[in-house]
Amino acid sequence: MGAGSVTASTVKERLSWRLKPPHDQQTQGIVVSGFSGLPAGKALFLHCDGPDADAGQGPWLRTLMRVAPIAASDGKPEKRAAAIAFTWTGLQKAGLSPEALATFAAPFREGMYQEDRLRRLGDKIKNEWQEPVIDGGPLWSGNVPVSDGDTPDPESARVTTRTTVHALLLLYGEAVADVQAWSDEIEQALAPHSVKIVHHLALDLQFDQDGIGREHFGFADGVSQPIPFGDPNVASEDTVVLSDGKPAPRDPWHGVPLGEILLGHTNAHAEKAPGPIVRDDERARAAKLPLQGAPEGFLNLGLNGSYMVVRELRQYVARFWQSLDDNAARIRAHDPSATHVTADWLAERIVGRNIDGHLLCPRGLLAADEYRQPQNGFGFAKLDPHGQGCPLGSHVRRANPRDGLAQNLASAPALLDAVNNHRILRRGRKYGPTPTDSRIDDGAERGLLFICLNADIARQFEFIQQTWLLNKNFATLYDETDPLMGPKGRFTIPEQPLRRIVEVQTFIQLAGGEYFFLPSLPALNYLSGLQD
Amino acid sequence: MRQTILSVVLDVDPQSVRHLSDLIEDFKRQQEEAGTESYVRLKDGLPSLHFLSMSVFQSADYDPVFVIEANFDGASDTFWRHFEATMADHLRPMLRCCKRPVDNDEPVYDAVTKPGAREPVVTYLARRTLRPSVFHQGNRGLERERILRERDLFLAIKGELAQPSPTAPNPYRAIPAEQIHTRLRNAMSRSFPWLAEPASPRIPWTERTADFCRLLAFLFATFLCLSIPGMAVAPVTPALRFAVLTAVLAGLVAIGLWRMHRARAGEGVPTRSGGLTPASLSVKNRLTSFAHPVTLVAGLLFVVALYVVAATVIGSVLTMLITGLSYADSFWPTARVVLLGLASIAFTAPAVVLWLRWLERRDSSHDEPPVDVQLLREMARREDWIAQNHMGSVVLIKPGVLRTILVRTGHLGLGLILRAIATDGYLGSMRTVHFAHWAFINNGSRLMFFSNFDHSWESYLDDFIEKAHGGLTLAWGSGVGFPPTRFLVLDGASHGRKFKAWARHSMAVSRFWFSAYRDLTVDQIERNARIADGLRKATLKAQEATAWARDL
Ligand code: HEM
Repeated sequence: MGAGSVTASTVKERLSWRLKPPHDQQTQGIVVSGFSGLPAGKALFLHCDGPDADAGQGPWLRTLMRVAPIAASDGKPEKRAAAIAFTWTGLQKAGLSPEALATFAAPFREGMYQEDRLRRLGDKIKNEWQEPVIDGGPLWSGNVPVSDGDTPDPESARVTTRTTVHALLLLYGEAVADVQAWSDEIEQALAPHSVKIVHHLALDLQFDQDGIGREHFGFADGVSQPIPFGDPNVASEDTVVLSDGKPAPRDPWHGVPLGEILLGHTNAHAEKAPGPIVRDDERARAAKLPLQGAPEGFLNLGLNGSYMVVRELRQYVARFWQSLDDNAARIRAHDPSATHVTADWLAERIVGRNIDGHLLCPRGLLAADEYRQPQNGFGFAKLDPHGQGCPLGSHVRRANPRDGLAQNLASAPALLDAVNNHRILRRGRKYGPTPTDSRIDDGAERGLLFICLNADIARQFEFIQQTWLLNKNFATLYDETDPLMGPKGRFTIPEQPLRRIVEVQTFIQLAGGEYFFLPSLPALNYLSGLQD
Repeated sequence: MRQTILSVVLDVDPQSVRHLSDLIEDFKRQQEEAGTESYVRLKDGLPSLHFLSMSVFQSADYDPVFVIEANFDGASDTFWRHFEATMADHLRPMLRCCKRPVDNDEPVYDAVTKPGAREPVVTYLARRTLRPSVFHQGNRGLERERILRERDLFLAIKGELAQPSPTAPNPYRAIPAEQIHTRLRNAMSRSFPWLAEPASPRIPWTERTADFCRLLAFLFATFLCLSIPGMAVAPVTPALRFAVLTAVLAGLVAIGLWRMHRARAGEGVPTRSGGLTPASLSVKNRLTSFAHPVTLVAGLLFVVALYVVAATVIGSVLTMLITGLSYADSFWPTARVVLLGLASIAFTAPAVVLWLRWLERRDSSHDEPPVDVQLLREMARREDWIAQNHMGSVVLIKPGVLRTILVRTGHLGLGLILRAIATDGYLGSMRTVHFAHWAFINNGSRLMFFSNFDHSWESYLDDFIEKAHGGLTLAWGSGVGFPPTRFLVLDGASHGRKFKAWARHSMAVSRFWFSAYRDLTVDQIERNARIADGLRKATLKAQEATAWARDL
């Protein structure tokens, strides 16, 4: 997911977006690229055991930077690339001052498992883990401590996971063996610092013979992404270009201000996306933290950084396909004329796109674009207002309703603008083996390491999950949620004259997750020097 | 059916505020525990009630305030009767936590709160009742009884359409929409005999006419007030001179406006749509809507003509009475004054705007209002349990003559316009508001806002920011510390993050909140109503049936 384009290399390459200097050298590469040229990958979840300032060993982050240099986003193709992000407790371990820690956004400071947040994200309600979470609750998190504002209430005792993650290191390489060797090297280098790899996932972006990257259920993934823009007419806002160096126009369907993805840049509310700051001192200056955008007496720790949402979502592939077989059989028994209803047909409706990523329309599929890739420049208001192609409650329509919530064509542009204030840049990849037979449960653990970047976690990721994906009343539906990632329940497929109802099961479960801070390279530099 | 929104606002003895909050929490717990279905006692006891809330506002700027907010069908007397029967015992101790009023209501307060009192609490409450300055009723005209009835129908239809046998063909399949309608109507009419009767009109024509007349009267008064300076000089000034004078003054004002029209540095909000921008006027809108430019211009011309005629006729009669001239003799001079007065609006209206803009540029905004973390947590803990959420807020109002006039007329006008145009159950493109209102409290020095809305607070506020920031800025921009506005309706709420912070900081914990239909959104209620309306008809034409069946 989020690999940029779905196809490895097709006829004509679509131009992608890039950052302009100096931002490109200051920003981690994962922001501009999903590293689709590096199909092997590994996620290392790090835990720092040692005392906060481990004097004997020197800063572990510095060691890490040596063995796993973090890729910048200046577009130089490499054989290896790495990205790193920290949980709140991780930053604390790195030695960041409480004063600076308090300047991060509330969701990050509170963590993903704050009681009210768990309810909003549909993970835990009334002290009970919901179906889309693995039995016994998630295995890992940042274990962010309860903040001062929490009323001491035994009932709301915060959730702690067995494993505490301080940092997530993402490694990308050309071959699995190479990434494995690299990972071993890192493990050894970190051992003397008492930093352990407490959890890891082998990530994979294998393109199939058609050059399509698929998630485990079999669907093309990484098709639709927001496209950031700057303002070439204002020097300080001239931040985004196309990969050929030309100015990047605002994309009419997917354009978002760069500040929706990167902190410190102008966002959808026409202000600089707020990020953390630190006191202006020698160490911060030495790390080249910018003055730009920081209040008097402070330096900008956030500029060109981002918040990264990570959720490890296990996928139950056999359950998915078996349950759709059952549904298709039941629907055809009820309506012998419904010969078109097969498990494949239902699965496509659940996603909203066909297996190769083309949008479902009332009459067939949306034609491919000029690059022979799934067309993504479309709205629903004109094409499919009633969801008779792409169901109203399908995953892609819930995840990005575009202008589809408009009641008429006159308000469609306003609704599209509104929806584009809630976009996320997806950078996840699948983990675990590709199933040999999607109908047979081989017992293997697999899923999606969902990763997305956004500057305002509450307005972007949480909004999407709560108000759209898991909202029981989304788009005038009643008592149903996202059929792909929600709990067991009903899913309506609009059809003429009468809608069909699918009884979906719980197809995915959360196994761990947390909010991370993805620092800019100067910020990383600063963090790695804190324990000198 | 008419619906009522009211609130009772009472000052609280600061020393009793904790106790009052505890009493409300106790009451809430009792309601939750009573019977198998929570809130069943309230639900049965107050059969016309849609939403009810009780909150205590606390601020560094004023002593605590206890507010009861009620949204119900029909007029207040019946509601108060039911309220007394269900709530009196709980309310009496709460009233004892409030300050003794310092106006004529003292005896009533004493009678209601003295030890062992039997006097109905509602006599006091009714006397302290506030009417909203602006309000919106979602699903307008659908009484609670009907909303619940139509939900039952919707659920029964869901059951009917689901096929119990996994193998036998479903009788609702492979037939056209008209037949689905007929079959369903037959199946439902037994359990829902009311389907045989026509539904009463949601908004009776008398109410509709009254709404329009009130709006016209408001516009009449606005034109008249803005004409007064012109009318004052018109009798003594030759027409040409008058025109030149007006044009020169208007020109000067225009220059001033042009120089001040931009946002202050760093405060621009280039919102592309969703507000009261020219872009929201579109020929794509229905011709019957005032969002269609042709309709808007025609409507304005009509109102202006109506004003001229009415003002002249009324003015001539007055002139006749004052001067003793004949009607014919007073008519044309009056018409001249009215017309010249109208022409002078070209100066007076922009001049008011210029004055406003001058103030706006000097308003400081409260960019980071302090929010008590504990309070924030308490609010968060009560949110996102059911399909709807609730919020209540109190802010201080910006002082000054112009501000006071504008906030009053702004609210009056906005309220009347909403009444006249928001008749389809929604608030324009905001489709999530059940009952919301603003009210001035404490002699108009504070503005109170309550809303019962669908989905999360974040998404509700985002709706304001993204879809309705114009109207919202008009109504709320008079609050002290509101994000910077321009021309009363621009920017303001579209400073999204600042606006959310400001709104949050003005809120109180909704200690007690009741919803009569916890799973229904405004959209779903309209959907249920469409389904029921279809089933009330004996037959549907093919096209109608297809559209109707989409909602099933
Ligand atoms: C295991 C879980 C999930 C699977 C298998 C999955 C799969 C997919 C697929 C196949 C697509 C269509 C192709 C594309 O546009 O990339 C898609 C789109 C998308 N998904 Fe997911 N997804 C999952 C979880 C999530 C979650 C948790 C979120 C966010 C909270 C999310 C947000 C999105 C978004 C925003 C889109 C793009 C929609 C658009 O712009 O048209 N997905 N997903």
